[in-house]
Amino acid sequence: MGFLDDCCNTGETLAMASLPLQEWCEPYDWKTALSNGTIFPCLNMEFYKAEKIPCSICKEEGQSDQSKKLNEINAVSFAINDLTLYLDTHPDCKNGLALFKELTQKRLELLADYAKQYNPLTQSSMITGTPETEEYGWAKGPVPWEGGHV
Amino acid sequence: MWCYEKRLQFPVKINKTCPKTAQLIISQYGGPDGELSASMRYLAQRYSMPIKKVGGLMTDIGTEEINHMEIICAMVYQLTKNLTPEEAKTAGFDAYYIDHTAGVWPQAAAGVPFTALEFQSKGDAMADLYEDLAAEQKARTVYENLLRVIEDPDVREPLKFLRAREIVHFQRFGEALEMTKQKLDSKNFYYFNPEFDKKMFHQEEQ
Repeated sequence: MGFLDDCCNTGETLAMASLPLQEWCEPYDWKTALSNGTIFPCLNMEFYKAEKIPCSICKEEGQSDQSKKLNEINAVSFAINDLTLYLDTHPDCKNGLALFKELTQKRLELLADYAKQYNPLTQSSMITGTPETEEYGWAKGPVPWEGGHV
Repeated sequence: MWCYEKRLQFPVKINKTCPKTAQLIISQYGGPDGELSASMRYLAQRYSMPIKKVGGLMTDIGTEEINHMEIICAMVYQLTKNLTPEEAKTAGFDAYYIDHTAGVWPQAAAGVPFTALEFQSKGDAMADLYEDLAAEQKARTVYENLLRVIEDPDVREPLKFLRAREIVHFQRFGEALEMTKQKLDSKNFYYFNPEFDKKMFHQEEQ
């Protein structure tokens, strides 16, 4: 049994896969997480046939103010999405939680601002952005799949 | 429950009509390794996961897969919304056009309709997590196959994003596997099924 004990007390065992847990790696600026497909540089593993695709969401020139603001909301929201999955498996990570708090606050402000200037993207921002409204504005603005304001 | 946001997770703006491209990427809507299949897989498996945090992760990844389904559908829609009958005929999109006109319907690239047979909910945490890890790899392969043959940068950009997500999800499912393993006896992970043999699992936990 001595041999078996030695072999099975290690992290790796027969007939079972293992994967290292991700350690915190300094994240990308939240504005660039979306174009990288993740907020974590250590998980950004490129495909050779997709390295040279021009990044339309990175370009600021020639974009309307509305497009820029929507891009910002998409960017901060995605950074939160990716961070959420990380926190699901790393609930005790203080760095992750601090960034989550900061970005969530930022997102709420951007959503309210967008609802005030253009149209609501979430039901709650209809109220936080335009508290005085006399009109139910949920149907305002383009439908997401039409490609408006990109 | 779910709340809708009136935006895509990754923006899609395609200017050129191309039914041929639509016919290829529609596989990531209703195909064997598509986003619909992915979301239904994780959202079905999560109920009986023995580790609460793993069920939570499946909810969040399953939710993100619904976002991805919407991105794929938006691409199919934009690639075909100005379709002419002539274009449908010459691009090999004619059979789809006859059945669905320019509507969006879940099928694989080869025309096989979406079916729940594309995924499993096995009621065994190990078996399900291994399926999930494999599913992320298979979806990555599909995105790479698409990126090799599609040239329009408006289509390539969202495909590149979706491919990147498969790798992140794979890592998270790997971490979920480790979390599940930690609650079991490393001398024999297969002595019982923690998802079904609950009494034995709870004894183990103490």
